[in-house]
Amino acid sequence: MASDISEASSSTADLKLQFAPFSSALEAGFWHQLTQKKLNDYRLDESPKCIKGYYYNGDPVGLPTRLTLEFSAFDVDGPTPARCCPAVGTLYNTNTLDAFKNTDKKALLEKEAAEIWDAIQSGAALKNPSILCRFILLTFADLKKYHFYYWFCFPALCFPEGIKVVQEPVVLDQVFSAKQIAALREAYDGLCVSRGTTAVPYFLMKYSDDAVHMAPLEDWEAFFTDTKKVTVGVYDPCTLSQHPGWPLRNLLVLLATQWGSKLDVVEVLCFRDRTLQGSRSIQHSLVFRVKLPELPSSSVCPKSVGWEKNPKGALGPRMVNLSECMDPKRLAESSVDLNLKLMRWRLVPSLDLDKVVNTKCLLLGAGTLGCNVARTLMGWGVRRITFVDNAKISYSNPVRQPLYEFEDCLGGGKSKALAAVDRLTKIFPGVNAEGFNMSIPMPGHPVNFSQATLSQAQKDVEQLEKLISEHDVVFLLMDTRESRWLPTVIAASKRKLVVNAALGFDTFVVMRHGLKRPPNSQTVSTESDSSPSCSSASSSSSTPAGSAPRVPGSSLFSNIPGHKLGCYFCNDVVAPGDSTRDRTLDQQCTVSRPGLAMIAGALAVELMVSILQHTEGGYAVASSSDDRMNEPPTSLGLVPHQIRGFLSRFDNVLPASLAFDKCTACSPIVLDHYEREGFSFLSKVFNSSHSFLEDLTGLTLLHQETQAAEIWDMSDDDSI
Amino acid sequence: MTEKSCGVLDEEEFYKCCRLLLQQSEQLRDGWSWEAVQGSEGYLKKTALRPVPAPQREEESGSHPQMHSTCNPSPQPPQEEQPVCVASSDPSSSSDELEDEDDNSCWVAENIGLMFQFEYHILYSCSYAVPVLYFRAFTLEGRSLTLGEVWSCVHPNFRICLQSCPLNAISQQEHPLLGQPFFVFHPCRTEDFMKPMLQAAQDQHRTVNYVLSWLSVVGPVVGLDVSLNYSLERLPGAPPCSPRQH
Ligand SMILES: [Zn+2]
Repeated sequence: MASDISEASSSTADLKLQFAPFSSALEAGFWHQLTQKKLNDYRLDESPKCIKGYYYNGDPVGLPTRLTLEFSAFDVDGPTPARCCPAVGTLYNTNTLDAFKNTDKKALLEKEAAEIWDAIQSGAALKNPSILCRFILLTFADLKKYHFYYWFCFPALCFPEGIKVVQEPVVLDQVFSAKQIAALREAYDGLCVSRGTTAVPYFLMKYSDDAVHMAPLEDWEAFFTDTKKVTVGVYDPCTLSQHPGWPLRNLLVLLATQWGSKLDVVEVLCFRDRTLQGSRSIQHSLVFRVKLPELPSSSVCPKSVGWEKNPKGALGPRMVNLSECMDPKRLAESSVDLNLKLMRWRLVPSLDLDKVVNTKCLLLGAGTLGCNVARTLMGWGVRRITFVDNAKISYSNPVRQPLYEFEDCLGGGKSKALAAVDRLTKIFPGVNAEGFNMSIPMPGHPVNFSQATLSQAQKDVEQLEKLISEHDVVFLLMDTRESRWLPTVIAASKRKLVVNAALGFDTFVVMRHGLKRPPNSQTVSTESDSSPSCSSASSSSSTPAGSAPRVPGSSLFSNIPGHKLGCYFCNDVVAPGDSTRDRTLDQQCTVSRPGLAMIAGALAVELMVSILQHTEGGYAVASSSDDRMNEPPTSLGLVPHQIRGFLSRFDNVLPASLAFDKCTACSPIVLDHYEREGFSFLSKVFNSSHSFLEDLTGLTLLHQETQAAEIWDMSDDDSI
Repeated sequence: MTEKSCGVLDEEEFYKCCRLLLQQSEQLRDGWSWEAVQGSEGYLKKTALRPVPAPQREEESGSHPQMHSTCNPSPQPPQEEQPVCVASSDPSSSSDELEDEDDNSCWVAENIGLMFQFEYHILYSCSYAVPVLYFRAFTLEGRSLTLGEVWSCVHPNFRICLQSCPLNAISQQEHPLLGQPFFVFHPCRTEDFMKPMLQAAQDQHRTVNYVLSWLSVVGPVVGLDVSLNYSLERLPGAPPCSPRQH
């Protein structure tokens, strides 16, 4: 068999042997472990550390020749994966990027090469040939950014003139019979067993037509009684058909140093051993012959190479950014996202999470409702949450307002808007929260005491207009009715979705405001919307905003499209600012049953999410209680206009009502005045009594006409 | 090994199943190993290398040539002369002292972005009394992949399957023994889909390795195929019976 090889050798006169270099391969766990070591053991210690990697000769064709380091790399005495060869290396972990840059790479390589050279010369490498496969790893771990800089070196000693190929590489089954291949496999397995291991990096080999014998390197003298024909085996991680892997390189230097004077040509077996679909093969191993060159001097360490090229093919380090998988904040973000996706994958496949997560939410009010709305928004993965509140945290707040603690009340109390932001960020650093400690001007609450108060009010209005413009959804969560008026007007004018929640003692209303059509399309259509407000399902008289007497002629409406739906003030026949009449209701907020704010806050967010899932968003037709049996309009179910809850009965109803053409907040005349006159109109509202808005909208007139209707309306209630 | 058809297995059975799987894996050389962790605990581990799917290839490797080998010194790769830039600051400034003259190595175009490493761990969940598959994938540099990247590597059919099949409960969790972030198949549905499999086996008087049967269902979803040889070898002479239940 071997004679076949030499006959083909004439054409290879000038062919030099070329080795496939190692590619470094790092498992994610390696970087985690390095981080732990740096933080807990090494700290500022830059001294070299011993680490361990491994390589494998069973890869399918096409895979790079890898030297792999996993998380167990720091446990040098630990086990090596089965049928893999260990490679021991030296880790230089620098404390700074400058130290990493300025490390003398050439000196590191030469130092390592000298050690290999010593072991080769002394013969120590024969007993422990793994020294021929040493490596260097230079690292810098930037643990603030989770950037890891690294550079591998696989030191190889060089023959100045290269290595002449006498016989080109061929695959084993071209030169070995099936019988010989089987014998070789058996001999290798036997060698492994006798060495008590599952992989042998280097071995000596003798073969005849029907037998193969193997021995460890150190048995050279006894094994090769004559050196006319010498075959060495190398466990070869390379899968290229024309090249051996790196581990052979230093072995040839060892052979030249130890036996060069006696050896001319060496036969090399690049032992490759793979199992595919349960069937093992070694016949793709390579066999070739090289002429062993002489080393120029037997005492001076030869030139060495080995720094790994980076992905650009140049000699240089690599950097890997692991913030995604190491930065706790990033981890929290991806876990939250995945958790939400879990809901989608498992339960609601058509759920558009991005729509929810990317919604910018403005929370007007950071009290009981604001805190609960914020927490539920966080649960939905909403990232942008902005609070507006002018109150400070008082001692009674923390037990009902889940974003505050006792400490927040001390020293006069922290601003709610700012404290809420701090807490959200603590709960989930990925949130993009902002707080504005500011007042919202209210009708009937004059701002014209001085030029200063007037310009402050103007600033507040501008700020609120800006905030509403910058957000997608406005939550009205204040504890007074009047303070909801200005944001209702601004949001209606800017066509922003408004979700409103208000509490009574044991009743609540959660509603979306009707979303007006875009300004240009709203031409004649308003005429047809002039029917008076209505409520499809009635509510007890203690419900906020629903308590006002209804207009005669109200009837059951269904299928009201989003642009015709009413706002919080549409059902009222008194303008906000009428403190004497409505104050009691608004004040009830603080005396509502404690669970109510959580229920209403959660419902407000869930209503928003359901609206967002509807293809028409805020223009979606209002679902009513009657729709509970029908095919729901979204993957999450109904999209009601209002949810009115009665805790005493543990019951909710889903009324829908039309926009009221005399509404003090969303009627065309109010929006028109606001849009044309801006702050001068608003300041008139703030500074005047409620009759100003009632006069403007025609409510005053209506009022007089319907004085008697109140009694009629009350009786209507009883019928439900 | 279990004759029960209740869909769960106790811890002792789990370890027994693992030992059997390892014995077969040793025969099949498909790379499963047992990783002991301090104490008596441990887990089954397997790693695999997989080529990056074509659409991702460009992002991962930039404009680098695809993997091929050329030999020095004849065709010098054109990038050789370019300055190396690592992040904004360049820690390689001192590398010019290194000579890049090695006639004896063949230049293999960098394929760092062209291979992903996959790591699979099988642990026992005491609370659900079922095995749990933890997995992660990373580049050759050790950068973990997102779930989207992982799935883009999996056979496209499985991505469709993922939308509908009950196994798609994947979340991110700390590995209970390693403390590092892993993806995990949530075990809440395991019992449900194991029950009919075990029942069928029991009806046919077949013995079943719970872990193996379970793995043959969940594994393929994240690219971990279980060789048919496992079932062939267990039942010599018997018709090949795939426990796959897709
Ligand atoms: Zn209105």
